[in-house]
Amino acid sequence: MHAPPTARRYRPPAPLGGRRRATGSPAGRNARAWAFLAPALIIIGLFVVWPMVSALRLSFMDASGFGREEFIGLENYLTVFTDPDVRDAVLNTLWYTVLFTPTAVIAALALALLLNSPRMPFRSFFRTALFVPFVVSFAVAAFAWSYLIDPQVGLLNHWLRGMGIQLGNVLEDPDLAMPAVVLVAVWKLFGFYFVIFLAGLQDIPASLYEAARMDGAGPWARLRSVTLPMLSNTMAFVLVFAMIAALQAFDQIYVMTGGGPYGHTQTLVMEIYESGFRKLDIGFASALSYVLLIATLLLSLVQFLFFGRKEKDLSS
Amino acid sequence: MSAAYRTRLRDVRPGTVLAVAALVAVSAVVLLPIAIIVFTAFKPVAEVNAYPPSLLPGTWTLDNVREVTSELPFARLVGNSFLFAGGVTAFALVFDSLAAYALARIDFAGRKVLLVAIIATLMIPFQATLIPLYQLVADLGWVNTYAGLIAPRAADAFGIFFLRQFFLSLPRDVDAAARIDGASEFRVFRSVVLPNAVPALLTLGLFTFVNNWNDLLWPLVFTTDSEMGTITSGLTLLTGPSGIVPHGVMMAGSLIAILPLVIAFLLIQRRFIENIATTGLK
Amino acid sequence: MTRKRILAGAVGAALAVAATGCSAGDDGGPVELTFWHGYTEADGDVLQGIVDDFNAAHDDVEIKTELKTWDSIDDTLLTALSAGEGPGIVAMPAERLPVYASRGAFAELDDFYAGAESNTADLNPGAVAMVEVEGAKYGVPTGFVPLAVYYNQALFDAAGVTAFPQTWDEWTATAKRLTVDEDGDGTPEQYGAVLPDHATVANGLWPSLFYANGGAVVDGDTAVIDSPENAATLEYWSRAIAGDRISPTGVDGIGADELFSGGKAAMTVGGPWMASIATENGIDYGIAALPAGPAAQAASAIGVSMAVTVDTSREEQEAAEEFFSFFLNEENSVAWSLGSGWPPLRTDIPADAVAENPVVASLTEIAGTGRPLLPGVVNSTDVLSAVDELTQQAVAGGDIDALLAAAQTEIQAALDE
Repeated sequence: MHAPPTARRYRPPAPLGGRRRATGSPAGRNARAWAFLAPALIIIGLFVVWPMVSALRLSFMDASGFGREEFIGLENYLTVFTDPDVRDAVLNTLWYTVLFTPTAVIAALALALLLNSPRMPFRSFFRTALFVPFVVSFAVAAFAWSYLIDPQVGLLNHWLRGMGIQLGNVLEDPDLAMPAVVLVAVWKLFGFYFVIFLAGLQDIPASLYEAARMDGAGPWARLRSVTLPMLSNTMAFVLVFAMIAALQAFDQIYVMTGGGPYGHTQTLVMEIYESGFRKLDIGFASALSYVLLIATLLLSLVQFLFFGRKEKDLSS
Repeated sequence: MSAAYRTRLRDVRPGTVLAVAALVAVSAVVLLPIAIIVFTAFKPVAEVNAYPPSLLPGTWTLDNVREVTSELPFARLVGNSFLFAGGVTAFALVFDSLAAYALARIDFAGRKVLLVAIIATLMIPFQATLIPLYQLVADLGWVNTYAGLIAPRAADAFGIFFLRQFFLSLPRDVDAAARIDGASEFRVFRSVVLPNAVPALLTLGLFTFVNNWNDLLWPLVFTTDSEMGTITSGLTLLTGPSGIVPHGVMMAGSLIAILPLVIAFLLIQRRFIENIATTGLK
Repeated sequence: MTRKRILAGAVGAALAVAATGCSAGDDGGPVELTFWHGYTEADGDVLQGIVDDFNAAHDDVEIKTELKTWDSIDDTLLTALSAGEGPGIVAMPAERLPVYASRGAFAELDDFYAGAESNTADLNPGAVAMVEVEGAKYGVPTGFVPLAVYYNQALFDAAGVTAFPQTWDEWTATAKRLTVDEDGDGTPEQYGAVLPDHATVANGLWPSLFYANGGAVVDGDTAVIDSPENAATLEYWSRAIAGDRISPTGVDGIGADELFSGGKAAMTVGGPWMASIATENGIDYGIAALPAGPAAQAASAIGVSMAVTVDTSREEQEAAEEFFSFFLNEENSVAWSLGSGWPPLRTDIPADAVAENPVVASLTEIAGTGRPLLPGVVNSTDVLSAVDELTQQAVAGGDIDALLAAAQTEIQAALDE
C-alpha cells in the first residue's frame, strides 16, 4: 500500500491562521483576554455553570425541586448503575446514536460533495432545498412525519403500499419505531451538517486537487487523499455535534412515541425527563444527567483525538 | 428553454445527469413534509382524514387557520418569538464574538482548558439544569419577563466555538500591522477582525435565531403566563378534549410557526449560501 | 429502589406560610390566587363563570384562572413550585395528584373536609379516594366519570344491531358483526370497536376489563396483576382484537378517538368529551355502560382533582378553601355538571336535576359504578407504563403468563419505592 501521493509533497498552508504571534507582556495579554471573555463567561457562568453545580448537588439528594431535601450520598448513582430501566435507556440511546450519526453525517457529506462542484446545475436551488428542514422545529417535524406515516391516512404509507411495501403501524412497531424517530432527526439536522461541510470544502485549496490530478489520481483517490484528510477538522466538529445531538435525543420522541412502543424508543433524556418531571425525582434525574455528561465528554475526547491527530500529521 | 441553455445541457456529462436525478429525488423526499404541512393546513376536515389520502386539497379552506387564530393570540406569540429569538441572537453575536476573539487570537494562560470547559457545558442535557436555572431566574425576579427569557441564552458555547474556529482561519498579518500602528486590542477586534467575519456572523446568527425560535422547553416552562409564550410553545396549547388536535388545525398552527422562518430564510438564502462559500477562507 | 418518600404536605405548608405569609393580603388589597386548569373547551367557559361569580361575591378574594393543557400543567408545575412561583390552585388528572402530594406540593385538607360548610359530605366516595394519600386528603375532585362505550348509531342501524350488548360475549359478537372487510385483504375498512392497547383514555380501559373479570392491578400496597383472572382477560381480549380483528391493534387512546370520530370504528371506550367530538364530526352517537364481564359490570373512572399548593399564605389557603366549597355547592355542582358534560360530583344530586342534558343524565346513572384508578399510588407513572407494556405486548401475541409475571415485578417495585 503506497502513501497518499499528495499529502507530503503539497503542503497545505501552515496551521490555519499562521503562527500565533505574542504581543505585549503575558500579564497584559491575560488581562485583555479576560476582558473580552468576561461578558460571555458571566452569562454562561450564571445561567449554565451555576445550574450545573446545583444539579450536581441535587444528584446527592432525595429531592423533588421543592419541599424537603435529604442527603443520600451516592444512592442515586448506585440506582443509575443498577436500574434495569436505565440499562434499557442506555442501549436505546446507543442504538439511536449508531443509527443517527453515520446516516446524517454521510448523507450530509455526500450531498456537500455533489453540491460543491460549480458545474452542478441548479446548485443554488438544491442547496436551499436541502437546508430548509433545519428551520423547522422538531415538534413540527414530528407532527408532519407522524401524519405522513400514519397507518390509516398517511400519504407516505399509501404511496409505499402502492409500490408493494407494507410498513404497517410504524410508530407502534418495536423494530421500526426507533428508525422512524431517527429518520426525523436526520431529516431535520442533516442540512446543518451539510452546510458545515460545504464551508469546510471551500477551505481546501484548489491547488491540492490540481496537483493530485497531475499525479494521475482519479475522483475516488482525490476524495481519499485530499478531501477527507483536509476535512478532518470539519469532520471532528460535525461528528461531535451529531453525537451530542444523538445522545440528547428527546423532542421528536416525546411528540411521536412518548418512548414507546413498550419502551423501545425510551432514550436517556426521555428517562431523565420522566424521572424529573413525572416522578418528581430530580435527585435521580440529576445523577443520570451527570453520568450522561461524563459519557459524552469521554466519547467526544476520543473523536477529537482521533480526527484531530490526522490533521496534525498532514500539516506538520 | 433558451437555445443557449440547451447547448449547455448537451455538454453535461452522464454522471452529472445521474447526480441531478439523485438530487431531485432527495429534494422531493426532503420537501415532502413541508408540502404536507402547507397543503394539509388548507384541507377541510373530511379530506384530512380521508382514505385514500392525497397531497393536494380537493377544496381549499381557511377553516383550520381560522381555528388556530381564534384559539391562540398568535400575533402576540409570533411577536414574542421575534423578540426572544431576535434578542438572544443580537446579544449572543456580540458576546460570543468577543469571547471567541480572545480564545482564537490572544495567547493567554488557560486558553485550552477554558475552551474545553466551554464545550463541556454543551454535554449536559438542558432538562437537567432547567429547574436550578428557573430558580435562579425567579430569584432575579425575572419570571414572565423578556429579560428572563433572553438573558440565559445571551451567550452560548456553540457560538463561541463556531466563531473561534472561524477567527483562527483569518490571516494574522493585518491585525499585527494594526497593532504595530498602536491600535488597541478592541480596535483590532472591531475594525480588523469583525468586518472580515460578517459571513460567519450571519451564519451563526441564522443558526441562533432558528434554534431559539424553535425551542420548546425553555419558553414553555419559563412562561407561566400564556401571553409571554412563543409561537412554538404556544402550539402546545392547541389541544382538543382528551388531547386530540385535528391534523388540519395542527398543520395550520405549524405553518404559522414555520412561515416567518422559511420566508426569512428564502429571502436571505442567496446571501446565506454565498456566505457559506466564504465562511471558510482560503 | 428503596428511597423514603416523605409526606411533607403539612410541614411544607407551614414552611410556605412562614416564607410567603406576607405576600398577599397585607397591603389591604384582595387576596389574589391564580388557578391553573386544563379545561380548554366549553367546560372552561362554565368554570370561568363559576370563578367570576365567586369573585363577584367575595370582595376580598380575586381568583385569576390560567388556562393550560393538562400536559403542560405537568411540564410547568414542578419548575414553578421549585421557585415559589406556583399557582395557588391547580387542577390535574387525578392519578397525578398523589406524587405531588407525597412530595409536599399541596396543603392537606382534612380540616376543610371536616367542616360541614365545605359541601364535601356527599361527594362521590370514589372521587374522594383519588385525592387521598396515606389517609390524608390533599385535594377536591372536579370531575369523576366512569368510562363508557360511545357508539355510532348509523353504523349500528346499518348492521341491524338494535340492542346494545350487555355482556362481553354479546359485545364481541356485536363488534364482529360491525367489522367490515369488503375487499377481504385482512385489514377491515370498518372496525366494530376500537380498543387501544396502550395509553388508553385516562389509562382506564384495561383496568376496567380486569375488574369485570374479577381481577385488579393493585390492592393497597400490593401488586395483584399476576392473577389467573387477568390472564383470562388478556387471552379473551387479545383473541378478539388480534384474532377476530374487531379492533385495530397498536392504537392509543387518541388514535381511538380519531378512528371513532372518522366513522371508521363503530364503538369506542371514552369520556364525556366524545359526545361533543361526535357531534362536531356529524356522528349520531349513543352512550352505554361497559358491558359486564364474567364477574361484574365495572368501569375505571376518569378523574380530575384540584389542590391548593404550598405556594400560598394562610389567607390564600383559606380563600382557596372557600372557593372549593363554593364550587361544590348545589347550584354550582349542577351548573358545572351541565356545562362540562360530566356527571355531578355529589351523590345527593339526582339524575333529574341534570335531565336537561341527556348525556349528563345517562352518565349520572352509571356514575356510581366508576372505580378510582390507582388511588393513593404515588408512582402511578411506572405502574401505568407497566400495564401499557403488558397489554400492548399481550395483544401483539406475547406470552401472557411471562408478561404478567414481569408486570407484577415492575408494579411491585414501583409500589415499594
